[in-house]
Amino acid sequence: MTLAGLAVRNLARNKFRVALTVAGVAVAIVAFLLIRTVLWAWTSGAQWAAKDRVVTRHKVTFVMALPEHYVEVVREAPHIKAVTWANWFGGKDPRHDREFFGTLAVDPDTYFTVYDEMKVPPGQLDDWKHDRQGAIVGDVLAKKLGWKLGDTVTLESGIYPGDWQFKIDGIYTTTAKSVDRSTFCFHWDYLNDALPPARRDKVGWIVSRVDDSAHVADIGVALDKRFDDADTPTLSQDERSFNASFLAMFSAILKAMNIVSGVILVIMTLILGNTIAMGVRERTGEYGVLRAIGFRPGHVALWVVGESLTLGLLGGVVGAALAWPFINYGVGRFIEENMGAFFPYFRLNTANLLLGLALAALLGAAAAAFPAWRASRLRVVDAVRRIA
Amino acid sequence: MIPIRYNLRSLSVRKATTLATAGGIALVVFVLASSLMLSAGIKKTLGSSGRPDDAIVLRMGSDAELGSVVEESSVPLILAAPGVKADERGQPLGVAEVVVVAAMPKLGADGVTNVTLRGVPDDVMRFRPEVHIVAGRPPRPGTDEAIVGERIRGRIAGLDLGQSFDIKKNRPVKVVGVFAADGSSYESEVWVDRELLRQAYGREGIVSSVRVRLSSPSKFDAFRAGVENDKRLGLQALRETAFYEKQSEGAAMFVGTLGTVVSFFFALGAMIGATITMYAAVANRQREIGTLRALGFSRRAILASFLLEAILLAGIGGVAGAAASMAMGLVHFSMVNFASWSEIVFSFDPTPRVLATALVFACGMGLLGGFFPAVRAARTSPLKAIRG
Repeated sequence: MTLAGLAVRNLARNKFRVALTVAGVAVAIVAFLLIRTVLWAWTSGAQWAAKDRVVTRHKVTFVMALPEHYVEVVREAPHIKAVTWANWFGGKDPRHDREFFGTLAVDPDTYFTVYDEMKVPPGQLDDWKHDRQGAIVGDVLAKKLGWKLGDTVTLESGIYPGDWQFKIDGIYTTTAKSVDRSTFCFHWDYLNDALPPARRDKVGWIVSRVDDSAHVADIGVALDKRFDDADTPTLSQDERSFNASFLAMFSAILKAMNIVSGVILVIMTLILGNTIAMGVRERTGEYGVLRAIGFRPGHVALWVVGESLTLGLLGGVVGAALAWPFINYGVGRFIEENMGAFFPYFRLNTANLLLGLALAALLGAAAAAFPAWRASRLRVVDAVRRIA
Repeated sequence: MIPIRYNLRSLSVRKATTLATAGGIALVVFVLASSLMLSAGIKKTLGSSGRPDDAIVLRMGSDAELGSVVEESSVPLILAAPGVKADERGQPLGVAEVVVVAAMPKLGADGVTNVTLRGVPDDVMRFRPEVHIVAGRPPRPGTDEAIVGERIRGRIAGLDLGQSFDIKKNRPVKVVGVFAADGSSYESEVWVDRELLRQAYGREGIVSSVRVRLSSPSKFDAFRAGVENDKRLGLQALRETAFYEKQSEGAAMFVGTLGTVVSFFFALGAMIGATITMYAAVANRQREIGTLRALGFSRRAILASFLLEAILLAGIGGVAGAAASMAMGLVHFSMVNFASWSEIVFSFDPTPRVLATALVFACGMGLLGGFFPAVRAARTSPLKAIRG
């Protein structure tokens, strides 16, 4: 029997305790992976973001819009392939008061060209372009609120007074995981024509596609230069920086969740360390005998660490095996359907899974450090004499 | 009944095991108590912003001041509505304000956040006597001077005494004072001259909200009827307390739910840790238990004793965790409130209720985790145990 084999076999001596410890580690790993997945789903938007898209908005505040003629200025700038714009409408369905979804007034001719990861069947897109009151909605939203093609929908807005009627002309699906599948898009003209003259001809933000994604930041800076002398200065960012700066608003929560995901690992290490320490205490006499027949202190330490590492890894594997279906088919599905506007893609990713496994094994070994040190320091005479 | 000293001494014999188990429980209680404290802090900050005898008037359909538009011409009508209290000079007590947000660089994080700018009239302190300057001086009326709330000060670039920020292009506003407002959300705002803000944000002739003091809280219904009956105005009146409750709903629920879900998983892990420890305690003390039984202690007394020991073990952790969480009272937590999309600084509020919940939670973990080991202890046969 090899030394490592002996360490593993030691685990089988108190099967009940090992089972409980594995369960404890597994629960901790499930919790850890769940928190990591929330963090990942929240922050991964920046990583999926299109590299060749630039968002131009008001420099100072999101409550003020840009003059419509800015669209033309952007369109004529170098390196710009396509331009579109949108206004935040802030709509909600009075019959589903608590459902949050994004509502955008968009330019029908260009919006789905610039956002080409949102796919609308060509027939539906054509119908919509010719229907001033038409709307295109995400498949997740349509399913949740039970909307079908041809339905008439009335929305209220916290920004634009009145009841707004729309007809569902199309349903979009997405090819990129980061794109919200619960957005409601309708004609910008329909909104604009209904507004009082003072509020008319404003666009919330302008989105453009560039032909040179390597220099997307410079193109943004060049765009802002054009509006530098105007009354309304702009801030143009590539989509990735835009998403990243948006996350800064939640930095405190993200930091807190990071800390909390570390706390569960400490709890797990304590559970593991406790189990190993108990085992070592009970086997003090045996270690004394092993030392007496010639094994070195290093051997004893190795057994203890090996046993703990195996235990940690075992718990990690069980935890990962539970977390995979729990997150991907339980929580994840629920979150994507109900909070799709915030978490369009909530799945356990491989990197986090491997991180969880590695940490379980690593912390297993670390948990054994103190008991292993004590076991290796035992004097043979004391160890053999001591009654556990 | 077995004396409690027996349990205390048993716990102190195996210090490492007791500390590891209690430490795990302490961490769980810390996370739970902190999230409950933050949730309570959110409710307190936004709750203390509202007075029962104040009413707020917004545009019909607006949930927040940010999206609300009230015509200047409606303001005298609102102030003349029934139930509005008059000050000593016979003037109705009310304030019409402009509320916008500006994106400003967050210190200590990579990005910008939205800061609430409140355009206030010169005599705003007449309506809000609880607001007072704690550093610097009040702004001179009609100038480009601002005062900042105590909590947001120093968290955002440009928002500290003597610094300045751009309200619009080439229009710097100087911070001349810092104000406190009884811990309410006003302390996360920047107050500037109303006319200045109107010009800079194109809000001429409109305000965002009108607040009035009622001669008594019971006058609200009469006031609301007076404001809402004139349908042409398109206004709604809310009790200020109800308004702020709605403002805190989302964020408080988010933090509370997240904290509870996370704590549930953590508790499961720590409970398993307690079970392992208690099973080991029972196994190691077979002889003691047998002796106790032989001395005449009933099975029930043994069960009670071991349950008590488990609760003590968890209680130690609970007290340590709750005590550590008290330190969070010194920490300020800055996040974007979902209702207003602007940064509000919250504190952790250690209410007695939160601490009691945390302690009960810890004892519950001990009780559940110790139950099966205690049953095993109670089932010990005295004869077999003493014989070994």
